[in-house]
Amino acid sequence: MDQAQRPQGRSYQGVVRTERTFARFTLGQRWEHLAVMVTFTVLLLTGLPQKYFASWGHDILATPQSILLVRRIHHIAAIGLILEVIYHLGRALYLLARRRLSGDIFPNWQDVRDAWQMARYLLYLTHKKPAYSKYNFEQKFTYWFLFFAIGVMIFSGLILWFPYWWTHLLPGGIIPAAQLAHSSEAIAAVLFILIWHIYHVHLERVNLSIFTGHLNEADMRRYHGLEYQRLTGVAAGEEAAPGLGSAGEPPLQGEESL
Amino acid sequence: MAKPASPHKGSTPLIISLAAFILAFSMPGKVNAQGTGRPTEEYCLSCHANPELSATLPSGETLPLTVSLEVLARSVHSPLGIECEACHTKITTYPHPPLEITSRRELSRSYYQACQRCHSANYERAQDSMHAQAAAAGNLEAPICTDCHGAHNVRPPDEPRAHISEICGQCHTQIYSDYKDSIHGSALIEQDNPDVPVCTDCHGVHNIHDPRTAQFRVESPELCAGCHADPELMAKYGLSADVYNLYKLSWHGVDVSVYQARWPNLWHNSAVCTDCHGVHDIRPTNDPESHVNPQNLLATCQKCHPSASPNWTGAWTGHYEISLERTPFVFYTEAFYGSFTPFVLLVSAIYVILQIIRALVARVRRSL
Repeated sequence: MDQAQRPQGRSYQGVVRTERTFARFTLGQRWEHLAVMVTFTVLLLTGLPQKYFASWGHDILATPQSILLVRRIHHIAAIGLILEVIYHLGRALYLLARRRLSGDIFPNWQDVRDAWQMARYLLYLTHKKPAYSKYNFEQKFTYWFLFFAIGVMIFSGLILWFPYWWTHLLPGGIIPAAQLAHSSEAIAAVLFILIWHIYHVHLERVNLSIFTGHLNEADMRRYHGLEYQRLTGVAAGEEAAPGLGSAGEPPLQGEESL
Repeated sequence: MAKPASPHKGSTPLIISLAAFILAFSMPGKVNAQGTGRPTEEYCLSCHANPELSATLPSGETLPLTVSLEVLARSVHSPLGIECEACHTKITTYPHPPLEITSRRELSRSYYQACQRCHSANYERAQDSMHAQAAAAGNLEAPICTDCHGAHNVRPPDEPRAHISEICGQCHTQIYSDYKDSIHGSALIEQDNPDVPVCTDCHGVHNIHDPRTAQFRVESPELCAGCHADPELMAKYGLSADVYNLYKLSWHGVDVSVYQARWPNLWHNSAVCTDCHGVHDIRPTNDPESHVNPQNLLATCQKCHPSASPNWTGAWTGHYEISLERTPFVFYTEAFYGSFTPFVLLVSAIYVILQIIRALVARVRRSL
């Protein structure tokens, strides 16, 4: 996963502007994101009219047959998402067993310190932004919030899908609880994606690395300084190593551009 | 044509007429002595007070022709001066025109139409009813005005109130027997309770519709809510008035309200009140025979959910607000989504807003 850089720089300095890119996501991870994104959207579009069935939902689901259809699409998308989660967890376990699981995504105390510094930065108490490693605390928070949300959605969704089976094992009270959780967690996840994820990957900066698989040098220096330093041996704030393409804009430690 | 018959069987009509004539002129003094002050009634009763007056109809039935003055006096009509000819519109002379009916039922069905002369609104309503439809379909036993209200003995139907349900029970015997033992019926019959519903409170009075339709089904919870969502009335009996509102939030209730709003004529099985509580045999939940008594609840759920296991009944929140004691799972779930999740989302939103402000300020500064 952690191959250092793409060997793109050839000896055309001054003639051809070369750009170094840094691998961030494997092809498998990019497909996984796409699978989650598509199934999540389908689940949302087919789930909301059911949640708001008593108000505007039945304007969309104009016949009882359309409710059954929408429910079936919801179930098919749910199977897709469940398979993706099984693959994701299975792969993590496989890598863990081979001692190859990257710990990059796991939260640590540095994240707490980074968040604290970022809060101080946003309140103009400091001009220094934290330098992040491969994933910053914002990205980790996105991952774990949605990890938990998808877990709740799958668990509560399966209870609602197979209520008889579950109540052989568990008390009946889980059914109304699952109903409430499924409905509330869906809204929480949507709000989170709209507020947090969309801002960070589209508005703060356009970060398409989850689709392209890589990030350019400028973004690496600016947003993942520690990771850049780890990969190149060059501090993010210094001049690029000779022989390599210019990163263009120098990394900003203080004022940020939108 | 009916053959009028006197107590002397086989006599010719002439003799009967003669007998009636003699009777008519021998009676008036006696009737006057009671001082009704109603000349037509007195005149008619001069013959029809005779307890042995009757006719044999072509159907072989005997038609009693006796009218008791006491019965008339207790009715609503006679004391108001509404006398015989108000209903017996075709009989204006003596001797009477010949009866053109063959059976007692036919006679009733021709006479009840006279009711509409005064009671046109209720008569019209009755023509829209399930009973009128049954008659139109050929069931001549279907009730007409006089079957419920009586003929010469018409009285206010609700004295006592239990009388209303008793009348329906004349035909609907099994339902009446279920109802009699229900919480509603027993309170009505034993205590003359003014609040419990009699048949007509739910089914309507004259325009009684078929209660087996999809529309009646989806509208039935509102019918129950008429009383069971009334806080004052429910407080009187220590019952919760929130049952209907909480039902409407439930899985069953949401389904039913959508069908009611959108597809009232499509049959839908999501439970309405009566599916669990019973229809005419509703009993208090602590009654061992109640369908919703904890002992019977699983069997009641299994009517629609045959694969339900004993734990299943716990899924029903029982018309109660969410509470730690009754519904701990829902309670903790709601607590989580009511406090922790909004808190996390709020902090996230504040963080993003601060980021936006910081970035905008930086951009403005650079452009200066």
